[in-house]
Amino acid sequence: MRVLRLLLTSLLLWALASPAVARALTDNGSLTLSGFGTLGMVHSNQDSAEFIRDIGQAKGAGEGWSARTDSLLGAQLGVRLNDELDVVVQGISRYHDSGNFRPELSWAFLRYRPDPAVRLRVGRLGWDVYQLADSRYVGYAYPWVRPPVDHFGTLQLTHIDGADITFKQPVGRDLLQLKLYAGRSDSEIYLIDGLTADFDVDQVYGGNLDYETGPWRFRMSYTQVHSDVDFQGAVADQIEQIPFANLDANHVLGDVFGFDRITLFSLGALYDRGPLQVQTVVNRSQTTRHDGQIDSGFISLGYRVAPVTPYVVLSRVQTTSTNPDNSDIDQQTWSLGARYDLATGMALKAQFDRIHTRSPGFLWRDADSGWDGGWSSVFSLGLDFIF
Amino acid sequence: MNRVRAFILCSLLLVTIPATADIAIVVSKESGISQISRDDAVNIFMGRYRKLTNGHLALPVDLTPLKTRFYRVLVNRDVATINSYWARLVFSGEASPPQQIATPLEMRDLVMHNANTLGYMDSDEVNDDIHVVLTLHE
Repeated sequence: MRVLRLLLTSLLLWALASPAVARALTDNGSLTLSGFGTLGMVHSNQDSAEFIRDIGQAKGAGEGWSARTDSLLGAQLGVRLNDELDVVVQGISRYHDSGNFRPELSWAFLRYRPDPAVRLRVGRLGWDVYQLADSRYVGYAYPWVRPPVDHFGTLQLTHIDGADITFKQPVGRDLLQLKLYAGRSDSEIYLIDGLTADFDVDQVYGGNLDYETGPWRFRMSYTQVHSDVDFQGAVADQIEQIPFANLDANHVLGDVFGFDRITLFSLGALYDRGPLQVQTVVNRSQTTRHDGQIDSGFISLGYRVAPVTPYVVLSRVQTTSTNPDNSDIDQQTWSLGARYDLATGMALKAQFDRIHTRSPGFLWRDADSGWDGGWSSVFSLGLDFIF
Repeated sequence: MNRVRAFILCSLLLVTIPATADIAIVVSKESGISQISRDDAVNIFMGRYRKLTNGHLALPVDLTPLKTRFYRVLVNRDVATINSYWARLVFSGEASPPQQIATPLEMRDLVMHNANTLGYMDSDEVNDDIHVVLTLHE
């Protein structure tokens, strides 16, 4: 029912709006409204577990069709104060950690450009942890139905409350860009049934170094996340109720999952010239527990034969530690699909994923007890639009 | 009769010219900019680095009816890919796309009265009020 309402609202919004990025609401263009959305349907053949897009989703797509995983709607209001200063507020409604489509504030920041080479933003910002991370819900911006789950699915945060500063420096015909940011954040992660981790991130900081040359854009990133993790749910309660042991669930589970300090390193490269689009990112996240590591990456090749862009993606995620257990993830996916730009600001996509799960960890929901992975086929349809 | 023939010839030219005519990137006469390079134009219109040669912030403007041809000749991309490119930058809060203007008349007016504005139009739409900084040949 919620999904249906969302679909209707988005259709209505799309019908009302002219199909162009940023529509001026005032004569002098100082107020603009724009938006993006996806109507997505996903079909999974996996009857032992539910497919999810990211670890914030409370429920997944079981066997059969589901519109929950990928459907979303976002809107942005821009207020231009003068040539140097503007305000951006963006909201999104998608299926997320509250277990419903309750809209949330994605960004709300003041943007200041005192000079073409410097930009400062203060407020709620996208978590620009690696390439494409802060646009991962804008389906119209990429060829796929959704960004590769193996790579983007384990990301812990969507936004930070803080500030960032970006410096740009031309180097001959190339461009060097440095972005530094710091702030705090919070999020919720579903680990298993009856157990969620509330992330209270009191410090998140990092930086990106971008180098653009011709059709290439390279990036190196480093991020630190310091958080208080509060475990909730039936499992946490049971641990605390064990007689005489006097256990604190947060300590016990903190030892198991070790999320209180995460360090992320990423390398990425994008290539876009003529019909050929290549995107590749690799990331290593280090957690405090038992030298825990999450290694993930993907490579995507697309070839545009206007108006159709067929693509192929290979993605992989693997966690390692000195103390392996059933929270470990080991999964690889081949995706094959096509994007069809059917009208201005509108694209239709179809994608087939062949997923090989060796250890599901918390990348799947509601798994049968004893399910330790296997092969899954997921077919997805998506209609992406901007207005 | 001659006049009719001339009219038909002119009409034919008008119909065929827009497909091959040059596109002029224009600024205000007061901007103090004599010319820009093609790389500068790409940086400014694609939102990579918006600095004019006089050091000021460049404010690019798109002429909607000419957009398809402009981006085809500037970066060899169709409008769908340009829109997709901007969707990423706009909705991640990184940058704003060029302002959109519907007619060459409005474009001329906007450019004339704003020293930092950079626009484009068909070369034969350019008059003495504005200055051409770069001509793109199709």
